[in-house]
Amino acid sequence: MVVGNIILRLRGSLEFKCQLDSTDVPHVQKVISRTFEALGSQVKAESLVLSLSSSPVFLWPNKGGHATAGEISPNRPCKDLQQLIQTDDQESSRKKSAKKDKNNPTAGIINLTLMTEVTEPGVLSAPTLLRGSKKHHLLQTTLPMDCVVSVLSSESISVVCGTLVGALCSQLGDMEKVALRHMKGTALLIPQPFHFLLPAPVGLVTVVYPAGVPDSQLETQRKELHSLFELPDDRPYLRRANALHFPDEPYKDGYLRNPHVHLNHPALENGKPYLVQGVYSYHHYMQDRVDDNGWGCAYRSLQTICSWFQQQGYVERAVPSHKEIQQALVEVGDKQGSFLGSRQWIGSIEVAAVLDQLLGVTSKIMFVSQGNAECFRELANHFLSEGTPIMIGGGVLAHTILGVAWSETTGQIRYLILDPHYTGAEDLQVITDKGWCGWKGPEFWDQNAYYNLCLPQRPKTI
Amino acid sequence: MKTSGLLVGSHNITQSKHCEQSLVSQSHSVIMYNNVCFLKVSRMLPGGMSVIGVFLVTPPELSKEAQNTLRRLIFAVDKHISKGRLWSLTEEDVTEKVTLHICSKTRKVVCRTYDVRDPKSSAKPADWKYQSGVCTSWPLLTCSVGLNLVFPVLEMHVLPQDMEKCMKEGLQTWAKQIEDGLCLINGDAMPGEVELLGGQKKNAKAVQQTFRAQILIPMAEPQSERRLTASVKVCSGSLTLKGMVQCRAYLHSNKPRAKHATEVIKRDVINTVSSRVEMFLEDLLMEGEDKGSVGVQQVLPRRVFAPVPGMSLCVCDYMFPDECVSDVSDRLKEMLDWETPEDSIDTSQEAVPEAPTIDLKNTVVQKNLKAKSTLDARPKTPSEDPTEAHKSHKTYYAGVAMAAAIALLATGTSLIYLSD
Repeated sequence: MVVGNIILRLRGSLEFKCQLDSTDVPHVQKVISRTFEALGSQVKAESLVLSLSSSPVFLWPNKGGHATAGEISPNRPCKDLQQLIQTDDQESSRKKSAKKDKNNPTAGIINLTLMTEVTEPGVLSAPTLLRGSKKHHLLQTTLPMDCVVSVLSSESISVVCGTLVGALCSQLGDMEKVALRHMKGTALLIPQPFHFLLPAPVGLVTVVYPAGVPDSQLETQRKELHSLFELPDDRPYLRRANALHFPDEPYKDGYLRNPHVHLNHPALENGKPYLVQGVYSYHHYMQDRVDDNGWGCAYRSLQTICSWFQQQGYVERAVPSHKEIQQALVEVGDKQGSFLGSRQWIGSIEVAAVLDQLLGVTSKIMFVSQGNAECFRELANHFLSEGTPIMIGGGVLAHTILGVAWSETTGQIRYLILDPHYTGAEDLQVITDKGWCGWKGPEFWDQNAYYNLCLPQRPKTI
Repeated sequence: MKTSGLLVGSHNITQSKHCEQSLVSQSHSVIMYNNVCFLKVSRMLPGGMSVIGVFLVTPPELSKEAQNTLRRLIFAVDKHISKGRLWSLTEEDVTEKVTLHICSKTRKVVCRTYDVRDPKSSAKPADWKYQSGVCTSWPLLTCSVGLNLVFPVLEMHVLPQDMEKCMKEGLQTWAKQIEDGLCLINGDAMPGEVELLGGQKKNAKAVQQTFRAQILIPMAEPQSERRLTASVKVCSGSLTLKGMVQCRAYLHSNKPRAKHATEVIKRDVINTVSSRVEMFLEDLLMEGEDKGSVGVQQVLPRRVFAPVPGMSLCVCDYMFPDECVSDVSDRLKEMLDWETPEDSIDTSQEAVPEAPTIDLKNTVVQKNLKAKSTLDARPKTPSEDPTEAHKSHKTYYAGVAMAAAIALLATGTSLIYLSD
């Protein structure tokens, strides 16, 4: 992300309403296009108002950025808008996320909502009523506008307003293309915008997808975009699950995401970390009202891995429950029917089997004895190329490895471990302070035990 | 000889006492009560003003019967006035209405109030006091609202019978948007508790302050259900309501707050649109449906303002396209019993629409053309060839017996409730 830039996000609904006098395709397409054109004019009208969220400020972008609050005039830099936003007390979370903010490019985002002024003076006369009597189909929906622009924080408000209106118009254009492309008869699929943070130099991109069409059927579009943005063609960047998660929108499912980013780096001289890529959820004992204390650690590690594949867009299915995991093992013939409902442990072989059965993901199994340091190189390479979380089982415990680090000068090795044995609540402070997610030294390995590691492989797909 | 009338004014709540300022004066002979007139009078009131009660003047022997009549009347008045209302009362709205009985012999005034929300409510005593000069400085809020509403006429509906239903449904949705919208006063979004007249010296020369209101609504309501496709409805037609309405609302001068201001102006916006639509539909019903009006833009009655004699307040009226200023003047005399010189009636607030577009396919258009022949600024005399439509309005108003008339006092009065 560009330093010195501010992100503005404009959301709102636009009413899409049109009358179809006939259902033949050319007519329908003409009417749809005309309706989008009319919406474009609406968006450029002087009656358009942008409401700055959590503030009493309103902007008229098509009147040169004129605003309600006296302190804001159109030639002030847009970063002044941030000072007018009334935030709730965020002192405690500020301290925690201070480190995170450097890495999180979307911190400090300015949210705006679309509104219209009904009292905007026009040249209209007293009201008239027109009765139309043509039979027609009325198509009606609301378009979920969601534009994101990144501008210099020193850019004036009036220019930024112009950029936002431009973004709205271009999104309408994208929506029109998607609507026409996927239309069947009078069924108009609602176009929905998604934001993606692509690797530099591309950055923030918004793509419109039709509602109801699964990712699997949108491969052609993604191929086009991958080549447009010069993205590698073997891993997903533009599936709906890859959509950017804005920091001001909490995850609704209650699981913690990537607790490891809140940790300090391992205390190693010249230590270079090799970490998991992307986003995973922390799954551990006692979650989902399942009391698996003492036997479910491998199941939880498997759930963490499944959550990774879901959030990177490889699969659409939800994270499997203990029941579903056991069911899958019975289905592949790995376990007998009596296994269902039991509290039997599973190991890395079973984890690999379930990943294959439920997610279509293949894994490499690695066998390590006596905490062999040689495995370090394999792990580092795994995080570089695949970047998936690793399930490690051995002795009587199962854990998840999220990364490794090695010091060139001292030769010391550290392992980033996510421990599924935690039985408490989703408290980030406790989890990081008490080491439930933390960097461990070689003492983590039992010298007398044998370990099996399951290294899930990314499917080659977009 | 009985005399009766409606009390008009605005409610103002200060702490635990209700303090009202109302306009009342003597009226002429009144014989019977006609429900329609309550509504007509109510339509003449801009925002912030409403019918707050009724009065009756009787000889002493009818005093007892008068109380019963007043009670029945006050509930009937409220019922008819609130019938077509598109906005909802809030908890803060005062639902106490006033009944006033004046003995023709002794001039003794008996004042009672009833809570019209409760059909079983009993009379509460109240004090009727006269004050002077309180109405001269009611602050005024104005705005003009643009309309561009298209209401579908679903297949199962048939015009013109179902026109009222289709319009009502559509207007209900629009009214909710306005009710929920944000209101800026003089360009500012102020918190509801802010006093609008802050900074004025208490006994300073009362000058009427005008505030400009702006109403902001979301461009559309996000869908409630998780739909994947646009909804498709088969329709047999549509109704398009387009144009600009001029809105006005008054605030009482006793520490009006921003939230009262936003409430009264929004209600006026909603009322003015629903009133004229109702009037248009009533007129259509009476006239009988003419086939030629499909495909033709029909002009709804437009709003005109008339000053209240001796005060800086205005009431309003609606002028059909074939009417002229003298019709308005006549109506004001009938309803409110005061003389309004024709040139004091302001017809310039809402512009006259251009000649309506005519659907050439329909040949039964001549009748309408005639009706619209007087569609220009301010004809001093009625058109020389009075059309049926023009006639019907006149007979409509004249045919109604002079029922309840608005009464207006030269001086203001205030009403203080004795109850909590």
